[in-house]
Amino acid sequence: MPCDRKPMRYGHSEGHTEVCFDESGKFLVTGGNDGDVRIWDGLDDDDPKFITVGEKVYSLALKNGKLVTASSNNTVQIHTFPDGEPDGILTRFTTNATHVAFNGSGSRVAAGSSDFMVKVVEVSDSSQQKTLRGHEAPVLSVTFDPKDDFLASASCDGSVVVWNIEEQSQLIRWPLLQKTNDVSNAPSLCRLAWQPAAAEFLAVPVETKVHLYERGSWNHVSTLSDDLLTQLVNVVVWSPCGRFLAAGGVGGSLTVWDVSSKLCVERQKHEKGFTVCGLAWSPSGSQLAYTDTEGCLGLLDGLGSSGSSSAAKDFDDLFDDDDDRPMDEGLSDGHSPGKKPHEDDEDEDDFHVPATGRARNRGAILDDENSLDAGSVTLSRDKYDVADGGAVLPAAAAPAPPLRPAYEGPLPTAPQKAFQPGSTPAHLTHRFMMWNSVGIIRGYNDEEDNAVDVEFHDTAVHHAMHLTNSLGHTMADLSQEAVLLACPGTDELASKLQCLHFSSWDTNKEWMVDLPPGEDVRALCLGRRWAAVATSALMLRLFSIGGVQREMFSLPGNVVSMVTHGEQLLIVYHRAPGFDGDQALGVQLLQVGRRPKQLIHGEPLPLSPRTHLAWLGFSAEGTPCYVDSDGVVRMLNRSLGNTWTPVCNTRETCKSKSDHYWVVGIHENPQQLRCIPCKGSRYPPTLPRPAVAILPFKLPLCQTSTEKGLMEEQYWRSVLFHNHFSFLSSSGYEVDEEQQTRSQKEQQELLMKMFALSCKLEREFRCVELAELMTQNVVTLAVRYAARSRRMALAQRLSELALEKANQMQEEEPEEEEEEPESSAGDTCHMKGDAPFTRDTQVLGSGKPSSSPAHRATSILDNMASGRKSSPLAGSVGKPNKGPVLKPLAPRPKTKPRGGLTRFTAFRPKTGFQLWLEENRKSISADQPDLEETDVIKEAMGRFRTLTAEERLVRNRMWVLLPAVLNPLKHNNNNNKGLFTSRLAVASVGTSLILSFSRFAILQQQRDMMIYK
Amino acid sequence: MDPSEVEFLAEKEMVKIIPNFSLDKIYLIGGDLGPFNPGLPVDVPVWLALNLKQRQKCRIVPPAWMDVEKLEEMRELERKEDTFSPVPSPYYMELTKVLLNHASDNIPKADEIRTLVKDIWDTRIAKLRLSADSFISQLEAHAKLDNLTLMEINTIRAFLLDSLNCMYKLRSNLQPGSSKKQFTDY
Repeated sequence: MPCDRKPMRYGHSEGHTEVCFDESGKFLVTGGNDGDVRIWDGLDDDDPKFITVGEKVYSLALKNGKLVTASSNNTVQIHTFPDGEPDGILTRFTTNATHVAFNGSGSRVAAGSSDFMVKVVEVSDSSQQKTLRGHEAPVLSVTFDPKDDFLASASCDGSVVVWNIEEQSQLIRWPLLQKTNDVSNAPSLCRLAWQPAAAEFLAVPVETKVHLYERGSWNHVSTLSDDLLTQLVNVVVWSPCGRFLAAGGVGGSLTVWDVSSKLCVERQKHEKGFTVCGLAWSPSGSQLAYTDTEGCLGLLDGLGSSGSSSAAKDFDDLFDDDDDRPMDEGLSDGHSPGKKPHEDDEDEDDFHVPATGRARNRGAILDDENSLDAGSVTLSRDKYDVADGGAVLPAAAAPAPPLRPAYEGPLPTAPQKAFQPGSTPAHLTHRFMMWNSVGIIRGYNDEEDNAVDVEFHDTAVHHAMHLTNSLGHTMADLSQEAVLLACPGTDELASKLQCLHFSSWDTNKEWMVDLPPGEDVRALCLGRRWAAVATSALMLRLFSIGGVQREMFSLPGNVVSMVTHGEQLLIVYHRAPGFDGDQALGVQLLQVGRRPKQLIHGEPLPLSPRTHLAWLGFSAEGTPCYVDSDGVVRMLNRSLGNTWTPVCNTRETCKSKSDHYWVVGIHENPQQLRCIPCKGSRYPPTLPRPAVAILPFKLPLCQTSTEKGLMEEQYWRSVLFHNHFSFLSSSGYEVDEEQQTRSQKEQQELLMKMFALSCKLEREFRCVELAELMTQNVVTLAVRYAARSRRMALAQRLSELALEKANQMQEEEPEEEEEEPESSAGDTCHMKGDAPFTRDTQVLGSGKPSSSPAHRATSILDNMASGRKSSPLAGSVGKPNKGPVLKPLAPRPKTKPRGGLTRFTAFRPKTGFQLWLEENRKSISADQPDLEETDVIKEAMGRFRTLTAEERLVRNRMWVLLPAVLNPLKHNNNNNKGLFTSRLAVASVGTSLILSFSRFAILQQQRDMMIYK
Repeated sequence: MDPSEVEFLAEKEMVKIIPNFSLDKIYLIGGDLGPFNPGLPVDVPVWLALNLKQRQKCRIVPPAWMDVEKLEEMRELERKEDTFSPVPSPYYMELTKVLLNHASDNIPKADEIRTLVKDIWDTRIAKLRLSADSFISQLEAHAKLDNLTLMEINTIRAFLLDSLNCMYKLRSNLQPGSSKKQFTDY
């Protein structure tokens, strides 16, 4: 029989160990001498979940999400599966129970005990007990009749008894076994097994053989034996289909019989020859798990496939051999490749299995495979991932037994449980209850200590604290002001919220609130001077940090997680049931504070397919972010209608598939993803103390390996991580102007680089597209670049664009000014003070931060174009401040005509100076009302000179470039007062001495012009 | 060179610390350090790390090689090879000493590490002595030793050089005698 014996692995400390499968066949559950029940996700699971149920586990049984264990404290307990939460005590004995077993439907549990008694208890109501008395020694094992009428038990007094459960009477008693005085001295555990489904046979291990007793008549109908089986049989177990019987024995023998043919179809030996004391068949029938008395766990795989493969082989035999056996018999023999030829005849006489039965069986196996393929396997795996990731699933949501799903469409996903971001799963004895930017809260919950340790990253905030956790807090949050703890309610005690307000200035540093009965805290968080608690009653309650109850409101679904930053509150909840491994989560972002409002109104939270939420938080600058279980970090993009942009995939940087990064914080400035690398797990252990690592962000843009893609990624990342500036200033926080300037500069530099690259690649259209993202004064630089690289068409388009941008700003300006108090042109200080505000409105209005008039406060490309910040306007000449350059452009009644005039005249260079002067005299005088008439002429002359000079050089094709060209000259004029005056002197006096000065000025102009050639 | 001088040099090595205070970048002659963010690892020289540690301003993250498994591997390698195997840090001995003396609470399994490093040190010094011995006994003119650390060179330098000088003097005194006398030595 082709069966694969997997290598044994350590399961428990040495001693009696038991194993069973869960109904999905996904998990192996073992219990052993160390008092733990471990839940293995397959044999290769390196990090099984464990439930501590007592000092020793004598026996365990699992059905319907209930885990029943017989432990050392003389009780039979229930735990939920897979959560492992205690679910009460089923029954007690005067000494320890030796074996527990479920009935077929899982409604009743039978337990045999060393105090000679067998009890049958209703799972739903443990007061409904039936006690079966009659054994005269400790009970070895118990098993239910699948039809629920009878119960069989074996005892150290040497008897195997069948009981009528209802009448609590002995039906029949066989003295089969050797007498001993205690279970530990019994040569064999004599685990009985009743054939499932058909319920025809009761299998009793008797020494080296297995006796089969027929139900009803209670006759010994057959004996299963094997020549090679020389030592006692310890455990027998039926395959789920009832065709096969597996037995494990002393000395490590593992034997599988085909019951219909009484043939041994599989023989295996424990690799070290330890006694097999636990045996379980997987629900699909393809695997057989076994445990030994040394605590090791092993698995035989591929048993189920034997049926079809050997059948196929026999088909071949059938046609190859000139055999006249009936076809059905050939098939039935197919299960015994280990058969000896002479046994064939016997089988045909004794057991005649009809072909239909065979076909049905095969069908069942195929059905299983199909149904597993249909998604339940992946589903359950996903689910376990969920459980593994710290959000443990409720047991009620466990999938229906995948043997025969009635419905094969998309299956609902179990909703993920609520969690505190930055905490490790609650079932751990040593865990992080919170790791955030302020500090770390660790929880210890072991025999000697139940405590909470609070430690601050910055000891200046507060010294470390050690609290005894008498209330059993499971949730915690930490801020600069307080520690918030909460425990779920129990039967007697309400769910409690405890706040240690250490920053309080009075002497009362602590307060506590009881939630209404039946309402449990699910998630909590601490904001600035307030706290929020989401409860199981779908309520969100706000408290002030001092303990005053504040607003409360209902949530649309069960909360998943909740975080705060300053006055913002981000709530993620279940919007609807998800399907096929997806979670359907909704998100709300509220502002709680002076101006309460809702910023995100319960929109769906995008997650990667088949993932769940793993972390939720704000960046240090206050932008909501979250991480899903695939390690994708997403960040809110406020400038794009509150959409979520993936900014990093932590799994890409992992070396191995089982490594993860456990995110603890996000900083936008500098761009840092702070996380803890976890080798081979999803979350870190508390010891050794994990160290924080920093990951860079990377937008998943296309082709980031190319230069273009790389720069695009950098640019958009910079834009995205720049968004918080506008948010901060709009909500009245201080903004680091210098940083903002730097990032704007960086963006513009990147744009310029991309522009240059596109230029090189002869992609002129792309150049213009890039230029559209630039600020106006960088566009002028782009114009220069295009002109220098002799792309006149491009340069022309760009300068049109530059004009357009200038106009745009002009249009935006009035909006600002309506909000601003009327400021005189010279009132530059005032302008400066308002700058952040106005910038903000612009950014919000236009939705394009790059189009904001950055030149006002920023000096992009300062080094490249020294101070070419002014717009193509004459009006600004006299002003030292570059800020209000745009001011005169504004269509204010007084200034508008002048502004328009100046602009138009500026591009009419063919007229003579006189004509020009006439047109401009007004604007100049309006601009600088304090100028004398001669000064006005001088001024006009100076301007005219620059214009004409350029005109000569650039000629008609380039005339649109003038504004761009004009800027540097103007700027020079502003700065070099001396030069300016020298020109004026030329205009009025014209002495030779000063002429040289003017020559110098012209030379300088020419030098500037050279750049264009 | 004094061992304390070597130790002083070793203190220029960088080590990761996790500060529990917040401080901007500090600009020192030797280079810029920081910025210090509470809870975020930062590289600083050992001397600063120790200073901060003594003032309880930080936790020291032990260097990657200061790990029981890695050191055990190294010890095995060192014992197996006849030549000197490469060391994880040119100042492994000094760093182990100063870090374990001042920050043993931040280093898991400090005692084991101390023992292991001492073992490695002993093995290497034994090798060094052995090679010095064979160097002298075989009257070699020169020898080459790879992968020696400064501290190791220093432990043997004074003694070896002095003794070589002495031997040279003795030999040169013997030399004028005659080759006959040397012959009789055999």
